Amino acid sequence: MVEPILKVEEIHTFIGKHHILQGVSFAVHPGKVTVLLGRNGAGKSTTLRSIMGLLPPSQGTINLKNRPIKGLKPYEISRLGIGFVPEDRGIYNLLTVEENFRVAMLQEDGKTRERMETIFDIFPDLKKFWKAKAGNLSGGQKQMLAIARPLVNQNELLLIDEPSKGLAPIIIDHIIDSIHMLKEYTVIILVEQNFYMASSLGNDFYLFDDGKTVHQGQMEELIQNEELKKKYLGISG
Amino acid sequence: MNLKWKRWFPMLIVFAIFLSPLLGINPKTYITITISGLAMGMLLFLVSSGFSLIFGFLSVLNLAHGALFAWGAYIGFTSFNLINQWTGWGGSNSIFLNFIIFLLALIISGLLVALLGIITERSVIRPVYGSHLFQIFITVGAMIVMEELIRIIWGPNDEVMPVPIKFMGSWDVFDVVVSKYPLIAIVIGFILYLVIFMILRKTKIGTIVRAGVENPEMVQVMGHNIYRYFTGVFAAGSALAAIGGGMWATFVKSIHPAMGGEVIVFALIVAIIGGLGSITGSVVGALLVGLSYNYVAYLIPKAALGITMLLLVIILSIRPTGLFPEGT
Amino acid sequence: MNPVQLFHLEERKNRFRSPSFFFRILLLAFFVFTPFMFRSFEVLDVILKIIIFSVLVASYDVILGYTGIVSLGHVLYFGIGSYFVGIFMGKLGLTSYGHLALAFLIAILISGVLSVLIGLFSLRIRAIFFAMVTLAFMEFTFILSSQLRSITGGDDGISFKLPGILAIDFSYGKFLGIEFTGRLISYYLILLLSLILFLLMLRFVHSPVGRVLQSIRDNEQRSTALGYRTYLFQVIASSFASCVAAVMGGCFVIWVRYVSPDSSLSVSIMLDVLLMVIVGGMGTLYGSIFGAAFLMVTRAFLPKLQVIIASLLPGIPLAIRLSERWLFYFGLLFIVIVYFFPKGIVGTAQEIFARRKSN
Repeated sequence: MVEPILKVEEIHTFIGKHHILQGVSFAVHPGKVTVLLGRNGAGKSTTLRSIMGLLPPSQGTINLKNRPIKGLKPYEISRLGIGFVPEDRGIYNLLTVEENFRVAMLQEDGKTRERMETIFDIFPDLKKFWKAKAGNLSGGQKQMLAIARPLVNQNELLLIDEPSKGLAPIIIDHIIDSIHMLKEYTVIILVEQNFYMASSLGNDFYLFDDGKTVHQGQMEELIQNEELKKKYLGISG
Repeated sequence: MNLKWKRWFPMLIVFAIFLSPLLGINPKTYITITISGLAMGMLLFLVSSGFSLIFGFLSVLNLAHGALFAWGAYIGFTSFNLINQWTGWGGSNSIFLNFIIFLLALIISGLLVALLGIITERSVIRPVYGSHLFQIFITVGAMIVMEELIRIIWGPNDEVMPVPIKFMGSWDVFDVVVSKYPLIAIVIGFILYLVIFMILRKTKIGTIVRAGVENPEMVQVMGHNIYRYFTGVFAAGSALAAIGGGMWATFVKSIHPAMGGEVIVFALIVAIIGGLGSITGSVVGALLVGLSYNYVAYLIPKAALGITMLLLVIILSIRPTGLFPEGT
Repeated sequence: MNPVQLFHLEERKNRFRSPSFFFRILLLAFFVFTPFMFRSFEVLDVILKIIIFSVLVASYDVILGYTGIVSLGHVLYFGIGSYFVGIFMGKLGLTSYGHLALAFLIAILISGVLSVLIGLFSLRIRAIFFAMVTLAFMEFTFILSSQLRSITGGDDGISFKLPGILAIDFSYGKFLGIEFTGRLISYYLILLLSLILFLLMLRFVHSPVGRVLQSIRDNEQRSTALGYRTYLFQVIASSFASCVAAVMGGCFVIWVRYVSPDSSLSVSIMLDVLLMVIVGGMGTLYGSIFGAAFLMVTRAFLPKLQVIIASLLPGIPLAIRLSERWLFYFGLLFIVIVYFFPKGIVGTAQEIFARRKSN
């Protein structure tokens, strides 16, 4: 058994008085895309925000390569090598694409240039609009910028929250291709409602319901298992 | 092409409005008033830019900003007097020495008030980040305390602000009276604007601050300790207020403990007009307020303040986000 | 009958039995019998100012504590009320009951309209703009009132006489050993008006509109989603509170028979109101009475304290200056209360009682 990169155990998170996460556990293994699935409000996005320290959990443990990261500040967690693409993408619309990357870049090292080349290979549009204001990009381009931005740093892990949201099917295909290419550079946790995207990218899956992880397994199993899909995702056929 | 035209059209109207007093004022007086309006605008810019940036970046409505401004004036007053006693540069006939003592006093007051700002931000404001209601209260409390401290330390009465000798009086350029100090204030204000603008545009810290104005959470997620930037911006805003305070006091030649309260309202209006968090907006807003105030004060003295309010009302109704919502 | 109605019925049954009800009666009795208990004018003056500021602060609390928006210019309406009475009585010399009532009416009308305009115009954008715009308007009016000498008397203000039974030299004769002068009649008139307005505000915050307002305060997004135009409700609350403030402004000048920018419109009164509402507790209405009492009483005693300090530490100017700057300590107190007792006196007390009950 390979040692997991990220191990989340029994975390509980409150937003105000509301007990949102009530025992979430999962493990993320290197070389894989782990997909978190579940209905709206099941606690997937909250889980990502808890990992980032934006919504610190009240109980449980989160370990990044055996190092506890619960209780650290978001910027400390980020510096340990976790990139985050929030649901609203978190693009700086008033800044240019270049400046967006400049904010994201923590340290310039020997490999920065190499990483930028990789980013431009995967997302050629970003090179094209390098000097343009991010706010003027199309929805798909903004999503690509959001995903690409954390990659200027040497990250262990990339958390992506609903990259398909609000995008046309043809662009979703494009994003799927891009994330496929990213798999060799970083480990990915994907929160996704779009089952087509989730199933074409995921290796491992975790099902969320009412703030808990209720099922886990290989993506192939879930694709076959009509009952699970119907019960937790509302997908039939 | 069409888009460019649309963007410049409001500017043209503004220019037209500012040339219109020529109908009622003779051109020479017009130039004199314009210069004092620009000077007032540049001084307002110094106060409101910090206020606006603090609001944009920290989302703190800093009602203590006026008190920081007053502290700046008082520290400038004391340091000017102390240096002058020691060197006599303030009364020297060399304009160069005049400048040195003036700038020294401003720098000292900027630095000390930046320190005061850091203390305020760390001790009083930081515990209530995220709660608008309590922030407003806390900054009101800080304002009261700071203003009262001025009364305790310097006494409750008005003081006469010293002015370097060569800064007084005016030049006569082709029969147009050009007061010296307003011109100096315009130049210093404009240089400071360029400095801030370049910092925000060209440096990494500036880029991060602009990013934070738009989305502070993402700045944290990208590995930057936003609280350090908060403190930095607060300190810089305080220093700007202090320099503004020192220069304002030299302009009106007097200081008193409550001077901040009067200016904060102007700063507020300028910041709203310009667009909260925008430096260029602050400059344009401040110049609009400064110029219109001076023109109207010359034509109908009692309506001067009214025109400022009118400006606020008009801008808020047609562009609620201010003239420059795009930042910087 | 649905559970809510049952709850209301229960509430109504216990209304006259709860200890807090007796406390309220006691408080009212205290204000009614004050003139009989204390013969000195100074005490009566302090008590009356407590009454007036209680209602003013309560009206501010309607905006702040019950709708969660911050106005920094509430005193503007207090000033409008003051000035209309002052101008009618003093400048125009129209000292009759009719004109007094007319002054009040116009002040209420103008305050209502002005606050609706300010509210519509700033709350529509962002709640924080309301704070800024109200502050700007108050400052503007303050400067206006000191500049328009011909109407407002400038910084010197206006002193005036009141009609009939309110006039200072009027005397009704003795009653229970007390001479009923115009002053005393003013006292009772103001007390009555204050009581009515206070009850009206209690009614308002417990009305359906008041409940919507509280739900907006607690979760604006949800209320918007439920289909409420949140800012319209906030505008209603703010204009109601402004009208109350205008009436209190009128009452205040009826008592002091004088109006000036510093005494009726200045930022320092706004700071007092803020202090009182914080000390008393936001969102309680009754807290305003405690807040006002605390501030007024300490302020009445402070000069005496200063004399003592000055006699104890003669020749130390800094000590004397420190003792003179009572506002400094109020500022510190203000910060401390916001940190440690954000619910104020009444809010904290309510919390303690609730905890005891549940234990």
